[in-house]
Amino acid sequence: MKKRLLPVAVLATAVFGLTACAGGSNDGDGSNADGQTLDVWIMEGTNPDSEAFFDEVGDAFTEETGAELNVEFVQWADAHDRFVTSIAGGTTPDVAETGTTWTAEFADAGALEPITDFVADDDLGDDLVEGLVESGTYDDELYGMPWYAGVRSLVYRSDIFEELGLEAPQSWDDIVAAGDAIKAAHPEMLAFAVPGDAEFGVYPWVWGAGGEVSVQNGDTWESGLASPESQEGIGFYTGLATEHGFSSAGATTWKETDVLDNFAQGNVAMALMGSWTPAAILEKNADLDGKFAAAPIPGKDGGIAPSVLGGSHLSMFSTAENTDLAWSFIKLMTTGEFAEKWGQETGYFPGQQSLLTETMDSDDPLVAPFATQLVDGGASVPVTPTFGAVQAKKTTNTAIQAILSGQKTVEEATSDAAKEMDEIMNGN
Amino acid sequence: MSTSAPAPTTAPEASGALPPGPDGPGTPRAIPASRRSSRKTRSAAGKAVLVVVLLAFTLFPAFWMLSSAFDAKAGAGGQTLLPREWSLANFEYVLTDGGFDVYLRNSAIVAVVTVLASAVLALLASVAVARFRFKFRTSMLLMILVVQMVPLEALVIPLFVQVRDLQLLNTLLGLMVVYVALSLPFGIWMLRGFVAAVPVELEEAAYLDGASWGRMFRSVLLPLVMPGLVATSVFSFITAWNEFIFAMTLLGGASENYTVAIGLKQFFGEHTNEWGYIMAASTIITVPVMIFFVIVQRRLSSGLVAGAVKG
Amino acid sequence: MSTTIQAPTPAPGGSKTPRPGVGPVQRNRLIASSRPWLLLAPALAVLAVLLLWPLIRVLLFSLQDYGLREIVSGESNWIGLANYGEILADPTLWGVVLPNTVGFAVLAVAGTVALGTGVAVLMASLGGFWRTVVGSAIMIAWAMPAVTGTYVWVWIFDADRGIFNEALQAVGLQDEPVNWFTNRFSFYAIVLLNVIHHGFPFVAITVLAGLLGVPKEMLEAAEMDGAGPWRRFFQVIVPNLRQVFSVVIILSTIWDFKVFAQVYLMPGGNGTNREALNLGVWSYVESFGQNRYGFGSAIAVLLTVLLLIITVIYVRALLKEDEL
Repeated sequence: MKKRLLPVAVLATAVFGLTACAGGSNDGDGSNADGQTLDVWIMEGTNPDSEAFFDEVGDAFTEETGAELNVEFVQWADAHDRFVTSIAGGTTPDVAETGTTWTAEFADAGALEPITDFVADDDLGDDLVEGLVESGTYDDELYGMPWYAGVRSLVYRSDIFEELGLEAPQSWDDIVAAGDAIKAAHPEMLAFAVPGDAEFGVYPWVWGAGGEVSVQNGDTWESGLASPESQEGIGFYTGLATEHGFSSAGATTWKETDVLDNFAQGNVAMALMGSWTPAAILEKNADLDGKFAAAPIPGKDGGIAPSVLGGSHLSMFSTAENTDLAWSFIKLMTTGEFAEKWGQETGYFPGQQSLLTETMDSDDPLVAPFATQLVDGGASVPVTPTFGAVQAKKTTNTAIQAILSGQKTVEEATSDAAKEMDEIMNGN
Repeated sequence: MSTSAPAPTTAPEASGALPPGPDGPGTPRAIPASRRSSRKTRSAAGKAVLVVVLLAFTLFPAFWMLSSAFDAKAGAGGQTLLPREWSLANFEYVLTDGGFDVYLRNSAIVAVVTVLASAVLALLASVAVARFRFKFRTSMLLMILVVQMVPLEALVIPLFVQVRDLQLLNTLLGLMVVYVALSLPFGIWMLRGFVAAVPVELEEAAYLDGASWGRMFRSVLLPLVMPGLVATSVFSFITAWNEFIFAMTLLGGASENYTVAIGLKQFFGEHTNEWGYIMAASTIITVPVMIFFVIVQRRLSSGLVAGAVKG
Repeated sequence: MSTTIQAPTPAPGGSKTPRPGVGPVQRNRLIASSRPWLLLAPALAVLAVLLLWPLIRVLLFSLQDYGLREIVSGESNWIGLANYGEILADPTLWGVVLPNTVGFAVLAVAGTVALGTGVAVLMASLGGFWRTVVGSAIMIAWAMPAVTGTYVWVWIFDADRGIFNEALQAVGLQDEPVNWFTNRFSFYAIVLLNVIHHGFPFVAITVLAGLLGVPKEMLEAAEMDGAGPWRRFFQVIVPNLRQVFSVVIILSTIWDFKVFAQVYLMPGGNGTNREALNLGVWSYVESFGQNRYGFGSAIAVLLTVLLLIITVIYVRALLKEDEL
């Protein structure tokens, strides 16, 4: 429990960190890199207006270092394949945005350059969001510079809750009560969507019941998915569909994108969704404006259930010729003005603690609850490249789908999943 | 070209209008109208039903694609039969901000070059395997097939390294060469049959008339294998037009060289899919292939005509 | 020049296409024997450089424990046949992957070839205008990106709002929505529909091209002899199109064994539904998901070997010795 829950740095340190970084951003590196070009890969689609953003960054970068910035936008579809092929061909960029689950994987392969010393030299270490630091660290070295973060919380239709006189759920019982009321009043809707192909929707219930996904015991990993607590959590989550009938037959094979589409169509009353989704929902269906809100995911008997913190790092590839130059860019992007602006334009939370703290003061019903979830209930899946392999194997998804479709009981599915997880994570 | 774009909605009308008559005199298979008229009517009616059923099966998914493409509200997943709100906005976006104006041009260049190059290479090779007996001929034919058998996904890494060594990464040329390689096995095997079916006497006759090999090739062989060439070029056109994995990895960051298949994938995000744009882009991708077919399909029958005349 | 074309053996029968014989009438043996190689050279060069050599690399990967780490360092890590041993010992292969792959391919090849041939015959009997209409329509099915086509079929069979379930419920065949993607057989039935829909136009166009090459006189002669449409089809058209059919069947087999996107993009098809794995998806998931490129390559090589065996059998059965 201790390892998973991410303590948030004290406000004082954060503010201190901000001033420190503001003062230190101009000297340092002293790189005069006239005529050089820095190649950067950024994931496409996170920022609707990324071209303009990076034009501005490019100007600032050239002014600071004299070097040109060459940003290439990489599509999410098959991005991983592109990384792997360019690693194989030695054509990787100098700096790239890497999803939090990829950083350890690429670092493990030896494709990334550690940035621990750069961070220490610029005294930035204390002001980074813990969860992102943890997922960016491999073998005690930092490989991924925290850039932006997001988290999944409970998103619900506030108009329907209001209509039925419901409050945002505070506990599991509240969820069931709200679900029953919605199901009775709006049988055409899914009271609570339980997607069968979305693992990050599962772990909050495991943790909320006091279970674990996998913990390291000396040299071996032990999956906790088959523990009574985890089974209770997974049993409750899948039970929302199988016992209470809040979900639908179709949702058995939904991914998170399907949850988003269906929520935007007005078919779903409650679901676990990411802090980046409200903007997308409104873009798909502007009629929902003001009709939905977010709340932290309730634990079994109240409190906040931890939820997986996702997001991206900026990583330096070992093919980078001028590491100082690469670092100047990373620092420019992840601290101060541009980090804040990126957060505002994308709806993600910045990876710098001091900036995050500012966001928490927002009273937007679609920002504050996510920020609370991030700070008080932000968690990380086991940080090891082998967990990436577990995710790719769809171990958890397979278990949930098997339960939802009635192929396995909760006990069978979880013990199969725990067994497979142990096999993969212990290098077998 | 005027007949090139039958909207899916024309399918129902087709049943009534389906003709034995309007075939025109040019159709080789038309049965003289004077004979067996009752049997003709029955078979025409049967054919009409078949055509309607076929069009329905073929076009139903395309209809769905179109209806979402024209739906301003398709963003949330187009699970309706008719657009909720008619609009051209999706097409507008795809063609401007989506970059499809450039992608279409690139894809057209890649596809046309691939079609021409693979047709030439496949024809030469097929003449070799159909007209000559030589050592390792059979193993050669099998080898040509074997390279098709590996799953493309498994080839991604080695092929990437190979194209890098050829210094062709990020270029359209690199992509064209790969597509030619992908279309060749079908082309060679297909044309082999057509070349073999051309009676050698015809060639002999051409030589007796004093024609050179090149002359014979142009005026005897080529017209007779034309249907085969059409089929192979349609195949290589679609291969080059729709392939995604290699386009993505081999073109890398050269976004000015992207093809339509990559353009389509940009609308599949990490967290959300832009259905309206996806369907509009798919429509834009589909239409040129149809146009290409309409242009080349007239050649499908020319071989027969030529064969009938010469034979 | 003309002498290098070998003299024909006399045609064995009036209807049979004459084949070039083996009798040598060369002025210059060397030029004659090198001519086929000159003609083949460009195609072979492209194939060797771009497909054959990468294929050999895949073979070499399959003999190594080849992960992302080896890719970065460029070092080899030979483990002999261990990958193959692991695959063959894996119950997933025998219980799920192989039956799915083979069973699906058999049905898909039969379906695409049957439907494609039927459509080709229909098209051959149509007039110019309607042939263009039907041709364009099937071209749409072929040209529609596989990604898009797959999502459309998924919408059609969607459990909650799909038109298929709604129709079944409307006529009272089922009370509750059914998720067709969770069951192995209904999953592959949908994939089958998708693949046949996307694949039959290729067969139709190819066979049509062949059909239009069948001398009209032969068909008329057969009709004069009183042969019905079925007999004409099997006794005149099929023998004449033997070559075309063999190409179509062999290539369809190869493609349908390798089917990937149409499975991977289906709900649960990415490995979540373990019952739905096939060789292509398994190879991909192991390679790019688990970063076990050696193991994934070994699966790919096994698939290739399997296809090679099937192809050799086909070639023997479909083509006569002198046709090959």
